Amino acid sequence: VSTEELTPGNAVPPATYEAAAARVEEIIRRLDSGEASLNETLELVKEGKTLIEFCAHELEAVGAALEELRLEELVSRLEGGPEGHTEVGA
Amino acid sequence: MSTLSQPAPAGIPGSALSGPFPVGEYASALRDKLRSFTRVQLVGELVNLRTARARVYFELRDSGGAVSCAAWRKDWETMLARAGSVVEGVQVVVAGGCDYYPGSATSSPGFSFNVSDLRVAGEGDLLARIDRLRKVLDAEGLLARQKLLHRPPLPRTIGVITGESGKARDDVLAALARRGWAGRVIWGFAPVQDRHAAPAITRTLQDLAAVGGVDVVIVARGGGSLADLWCFCEETLCRTVALLSVPVIASVGHHTDRTLLDDVAAVSCSTPTHAAEEAVAIHCAEARARLLRDAERLGEQSRRALLIRARSLASLSRAPTDHLKRQRTRLHQQLRETRAGFRRRLESERQTGGRRALVLERKTQAAVLDCRVRRPRELQQLAMALAGHDPQRTLERGYALVQSPSGEPIATGTHARAAGEVRVRFADQTVPARIEP
Repeated sequence: VSTEELTPGNAVPPATYEAAAARVEEIIRRLDSGEASLNETLELVKEGKTLIEFCAHELEAVGAALEELRLEELVSRLEGGPEGHTEVGA
Repeated sequence: MSTLSQPAPAGIPGSALSGPFPVGEYASALRDKLRSFTRVQLVGELVNLRTARARVYFELRDSGGAVSCAAWRKDWETMLARAGSVVEGVQVVVAGGCDYYPGSATSSPGFSFNVSDLRVAGEGDLLARIDRLRKVLDAEGLLARQKLLHRPPLPRTIGVITGESGKARDDVLAALARRGWAGRVIWGFAPVQDRHAAPAITRTLQDLAAVGGVDVVIVARGGGSLADLWCFCEETLCRTVALLSVPVIASVGHHTDRTLLDDVAAVSCSTPTHAAEEAVAIHCAEARARLLRDAERLGEQSRRALLIRARSLASLSRAPTDHLKRQRTRLHQQLRETRAGFRRRLESERQTGGRRALVLERKTQAAVLDCRVRRPRELQQLAMALAGHDPQRTLERGYALVQSPSGEPIATGTHARAAGEVRVRFADQTVPARIEP
């Protein structure tokens, strides 16, 4: 457990899910160490909550329902072809 | 055969050909005929190598054609001991002759070139071409480009290029479902084996990149011979993959097969299932549970940090009050002790005073008594005693006191004679007298 104070990183939005998850783990380790000052604790908790919201949002985005599209129909739609798409394998 | 016991059926009416002959007899005759062919050496690429319990089968190919080959397994092992390892695509020279398995009522017949000896003639054209192309791509840095791309562990959209009817499609879907992943899959169905495969796969890859939003692409195909997988070694396809900005996960053939696509792709997997698991690195259900735990721990840490400090602050804020309270209590205690001490002393003093007053009173009474009774009596007694000693009284009883002229008493006759002149004091008066010597 690092004894060095963690720099609150809430100013920088998380780039990826894994970066956010890793940062949350880091924050929890720091808080578990009991060495964080009150101000640092509040900052880290705030940052951690933001990251968890981000991760939850990312998980929600791939957790609702599997959507299957055919590339050829997608391409033709993008090229101004017939509207709609056909789901496959349902 | 039961057919042997039956009369032979009539032939096709009008046909000029002889027969009909029982097929078994014809098959045996065919085998004999083929075996009578001159035994020769053939050269070609060895592909489709497969080993059965007693026989080893493969094909010998070149651009002009192919021949199915077979060898007894014990002979094959002897050949390998001499020739070294033999891999798919290698150029070999085989020695042997034509053979034909006539089959039976329950087994299929088959032609094969029965191989009795083998020599590896050098790398096969396919392998050599693949190797040359691999070196060219490597020299251009194209084998590394895909591996530098970031692959999101939780992609929202996955492009999958595979045969529409292949098992790979089901494997990918099943693996994604096991991951708990339910995002968007864009299927790019393409032929994965014939000469149209490489251009179609290349075009599909470009289309997937063009539609946008695709986080990762899986190219999946089941196992096959190197010749079957040759389309995945095609140069244009490999260059397209290398230059694609979307990471590509290759799952072509089995783990023993290695195509150029495996080399240029970001990741090479042995099966479509592994490719799907590689595409979604995170197990979504587990990630949700972990996230929930993290959120709870974060909340708990937040509450705990505040609670500890609030308690500490409350303790600190109470400290002056507590101190004052302690001091006040101490002062009250001291005051009570002082008062009690004072009362005790007062009581003691009062008791002492009372005793003293009593003594004083008694002494006063005694003094009064003394003054009033005892002392007058004593005075009277003293007066009486004194009166008893008064010379006047003695003089009144007829005695006389001889004094010197100065008034001092003369007690002896000697002193009287010496004085000569004396004064004799009587009760009523003093008379001068002369003592005769």
